[in-house]
Amino acid sequence: MTDPDTKAWFSRNIEQCMDSLYGLALRLTRSNANAEDLVAESVAKAWSALATLEDKERFRPWLFRILHNCYISEYRKKSVRPVEYGYDDIVVDGKEDDITGFLIEQPDDFLNWWGNPEREFANSLLGEDIVSAIQMLPEAFRIAVLLVNVEGLSYDEAAEVLGVPPGTIRSRMKRGRTLLQKALWQHANEAGLITDDVKRGCKS
Amino acid sequence: MKDSKDKPEIDEIGCLEAINGLYAYLDGEMNDPESIAKFEHHLEHCQACYSRTELESALGELIRKSAKGKAPEKLQNRLRKLIDGI
Ligand SMILES: [Zn+2]
Repeated sequence: MTDPDTKAWFSRNIEQCMDSLYGLALRLTRSNANAEDLVAESVAKAWSALATLEDKERFRPWLFRILHNCYISEYRKKSVRPVEYGYDDIVVDGKEDDITGFLIEQPDDFLNWWGNPEREFANSLLGEDIVSAIQMLPEAFRIAVLLVNVEGLSYDEAAEVLGVPPGTIRSRMKRGRTLLQKALWQHANEAGLITDDVKRGCKS
Repeated sequence: MKDSKDKPEIDEIGCLEAINGLYAYLDGEMNDPESIAKFEHHLEHCQACYSRTELESALGELIRKSAKGKAPEKLQNRLRKLIDGI
């Protein structure tokens, strides 16, 4: 590849990744200005490190890894901390058994509520609620959910981004989603979205 | 539906195994056809796990839609300028 070709190729790929890069940076830094700086810095770093990209098909995970490393080394300490949500007791990479337990025990109310006719109404409120619930997730879970669920990376690719084994992504996805659901359920309860009718639900 | 005789037998799995595989299934990480067939077979016969899967899949879709980023125009221009200058 001649130099102008490489640059055009790089430019095309960055164009396709801009929204994803910004989305990841924003959810990590929780600040618009820092997110923009982080993305610009990561793109500059990616260009200078282009020789380290072994497989062109894996440009996205490679680029996200650069952004994540850049975040950790320079932006993490500046990132805005949200109101803590009582996640202190959470072990990041613990056993999975308790999650299965939680999923099984998770209130049927939640299921019933989700399936009830108010769902459309609830959905319109939930967009923002979901974003703030994601913002409040501990970082390890937040980034896993963003990479896999939002950006559609495989566990292998997400593992490459974060430099952890794929099994770690698997368990963080379980925990991350469980925590999100718990937060949304609590929020819906507090916001009065869940009526007693719904809680009694279609169990009968 | 009648079972045709050339239809392979599918091993039954329980709810615990189904729920354990749920996220792998939804994330496209359940790669062998046999596990997928077992999981889907369970869903056809278990209302609870079917509803759970529907819920998880709807929630996943909502997360995807809500958390998707959109690079501000200012940043887009900044990146284009940056690439022009390298
Ligand atoms: Zn079941």
